[in-house]
Amino acid sequence: MTRKNINTSAFILLGFVAFGLPLVLRSPTYLHIIILLYLYAYLTTSWNLVGGFAGVLPLGHSAFIGIGAYASTILSLQYGISPWIGMIVGGILAAIAGILIGLPTFKMRGAYFALATIAFGEGIRVMVENIDNLGPLKINGPRGLQIPPTHIGFGNYMFAGKEPYYYIILVMLIGVLALTYFISRSKLGYYLNAGGEEPEAAMSLGVNVARAKLIAMAMSSFLTALAGTFYAQFTLYIHPKSVMSLDFSFEIAFIALIGGRGSIAGPVLGALLLRPVSDFSRIYFGSTLPGLHLVIFGTVLILVMIFQPRGLQEPLSKFYNTLLDRISGQTRQGEVKHEYS
Amino acid sequence: MNFILEGTINGILMGSIYGLTALGLTVIFGVLKVINFAHGSLIMVSMYVAYWAIIFTGVHPYIALIIVVPVMYFFGYYLQDIIIKPIFKAEKDVREPITVIIVTTGVWYILDNLTLLIFGPQYRSIQNNPMRGKMLEFGDMLISVPKLWGFVTAVITAFAIYWFLQKTRTGRAIRATSLDREAASLMGINQFKIYNIAFGIGTAVVGISAVTLVPFYNIFPSVGVLFDIKGFIIVVLGGLGSIGGAILGGIIIGLIESIAPMFMTATWAEAIVYALFLVVLFVKPSGLFGVKYDW
Amino acid sequence: MNILEIKNLVKDFGGLRAVDTLSLFIEEGEILGMIGPNGAGKSTAFNCIAGVYAPTKGDVYFAGKKINGVKPWNLCKKGLARTFQIVKPFRTKSVLYNVMVGSFVTTDKTAVAEEKAMNVLKILSFENKKDERAGNLTIAELKRLEIARALATEPKLLLFDEVMAGLRPAEVDEMVQIIKKLRDQGITIFVIEHIMRAIMALSDRIVVIHFGKKIAEGPPQEVASDENVIKAYLGDEYVVS
Repeated sequence: MTRKNINTSAFILLGFVAFGLPLVLRSPTYLHIIILLYLYAYLTTSWNLVGGFAGVLPLGHSAFIGIGAYASTILSLQYGISPWIGMIVGGILAAIAGILIGLPTFKMRGAYFALATIAFGEGIRVMVENIDNLGPLKINGPRGLQIPPTHIGFGNYMFAGKEPYYYIILVMLIGVLALTYFISRSKLGYYLNAGGEEPEAAMSLGVNVARAKLIAMAMSSFLTALAGTFYAQFTLYIHPKSVMSLDFSFEIAFIALIGGRGSIAGPVLGALLLRPVSDFSRIYFGSTLPGLHLVIFGTVLILVMIFQPRGLQEPLSKFYNTLLDRISGQTRQGEVKHEYS
Repeated sequence: MNFILEGTINGILMGSIYGLTALGLTVIFGVLKVINFAHGSLIMVSMYVAYWAIIFTGVHPYIALIIVVPVMYFFGYYLQDIIIKPIFKAEKDVREPITVIIVTTGVWYILDNLTLLIFGPQYRSIQNNPMRGKMLEFGDMLISVPKLWGFVTAVITAFAIYWFLQKTRTGRAIRATSLDREAASLMGINQFKIYNIAFGIGTAVVGISAVTLVPFYNIFPSVGVLFDIKGFIIVVLGGLGSIGGAILGGIIIGLIESIAPMFMTATWAEAIVYALFLVVLFVKPSGLFGVKYDW
Repeated sequence: MNILEIKNLVKDFGGLRAVDTLSLFIEEGEILGMIGPNGAGKSTAFNCIAGVYAPTKGDVYFAGKKINGVKPWNLCKKGLARTFQIVKPFRTKSVLYNVMVGSFVTTDKTAVAEEKAMNVLKILSFENKKDERAGNLTIAELKRLEIARALATEPKLLLFDEVMAGLRPAEVDEMVQIIKKLRDQGITIFVIEHIMRAIMALSDRIVVIHFGKKIAEGPPQEVASDENVIKAYLGDEYVVS
């Protein structure tokens, strides 16, 4: 079998496993955990469009989750509009917000940019926490909004069991991964990488770096907002501290960083590795050793940054490629090297 | 009218303490050009150190400075040496390593949660200290005594740091390194040693600020988070690397916090602070007194 | 038509006048060299042309159209490309990737960009290094990469900013041949250089800058024996009168 065939087969197998999982794994608790795992993988991959490809460190992305969640929830609770439509509305609003935030901040250097995104994220959260009503819209401040579990049905983005949610987030995850793959091999991807590494050189080669970054930001914020709607429909309760918190923003960024930003598999890998740690230590040690998972998190973060600054995907993908080479007897040929990572 | 004057004065006093907490951050940033996201955690650790020092020895809170300052100096020194230096060495060509931001956030997570694990989430405070709740009366205004002590400490510390940087040999080496690390090392200055010292001094100043807070502020594992973000805002407002800027920036924040709630809710006051921060970032990122770096 | 024309260009940085009423032109298909002592204002003039700075006064015309203050990426799309004195490769990417970034100016499709980039590499005899990580190249190879990238944008005018700096004599000669080859392909070339043997061999005409002003212009041999040029480089004592 050629190397390429083995690689493709591996992905197809993975696809089968992913789609078949709910048929085998019947426990709602475990399904819930895996759904959240996919959600984080989706969020980190969407974040990666800006944080990885554009080469900056955005630390306020949970604001977009919040925008998506609140938009679709308010539209469905108050105006009876299907959350699917509300989801798109939320996405567009988030994209606009993303561009407005990006316009002044992309000019700044790394540390300032990070601080500015934190300020935006926290600023938006504080405002939402303070507002009970925005004109006719009911926002409810810190108490948040609850979605009553009536009107079950696809049109209402509401389901009785966990399985439909599983498939929705799985499809979303595959979609965003495919999008990332295609972007990385497209003109936009090349331009983003170039602009992130050497902006002056990129500009002299015809790259409008600022515009490329804004496009990436708009995409990233749009996609992130979609997850906000998912979260709202899945947990049926949203409030500022759950969907717009600084911790959430940081968690997404750091999972992506540990996995390896700028690569396609990195953010997913990060989620796959770290979420179980987080869940495990929360379930088993939550009451006796609170905050243990964050200590582990922090330690892993430091170790990875010192020893593998480009993320754990680097050694893992090297291993995978060596494995492919051994099995097929061939090496990687004739492909443009997209990641020396 | 006196109401507003009282608020203004207390705002200035509290603000100067904020400025003191940010002073360490500005020294570290000015020299190393990195944002230390573990700043809040260092404040928290200092407060716990001060707390235990005072509880065990029973002395007046400010005497605890004798213990807190050296302890925090070495804590900061070795934090930089062991954890942050390897990143600097790996990213030698990058002018301001973003990875350090990430690493210091890891330190933040570890310190905050380790403290939670070891000491538990309960709020602590030093009930029997001679300053708690004491007020000075000026006519019908009440001025908080511990905050007054804090103000005096802030001013003295600011001048001390300024004098140190201007007049001592090490201080000049620090300033040289902050302007151009390569040129400084060509002059025989060991830049990594300077970084360690600068970090140590910054953390020692954090220790001093903690001692001023402990008489009236509650101590708990996540107390640092509040000061963390405030610290960055102050430092950007006042100008990175500017000592006077840090104190002044702190006073501005203190004033907003004490006066604004008279006209709006406290959380809107918080929103104003964020908005002000963003305005400064966009309009004059070098802050009120900052030097314009070519970045 | 002159592909590049500068009329009375002035660039001030605060109180410092880096470029002082500079005027010059380049004919299509020419190789124009610019020399001058360090700090004379050559790179500043370059940067004014390349869109990095906006001129304080005066005008820059490219193919008859005024380009004052036009952004670098738009200039590139119009056919003006440049290299950097201190090379700026995309270090974590391969040579081919680097050049493809340039190729994307003329196409939106990745496959087409890849093909065009390979052709550029072949012209510069560089295709054997296509998968090499840019950060691992030697300085000579990096300079060649700079040229390859700029060439991939299919420019009409190419600005070379001290592209020979740091090269050994043999490498310099090689580079001269490459640049001549580019001119034969129909590209107009504007070179800033310090290495005399290179610029004398390459240029059809040379412009000499000193303290931001043009002090001489003409064919290489004429300029080399110009009194003002010798004074500027070596001082009054060396002028043979």
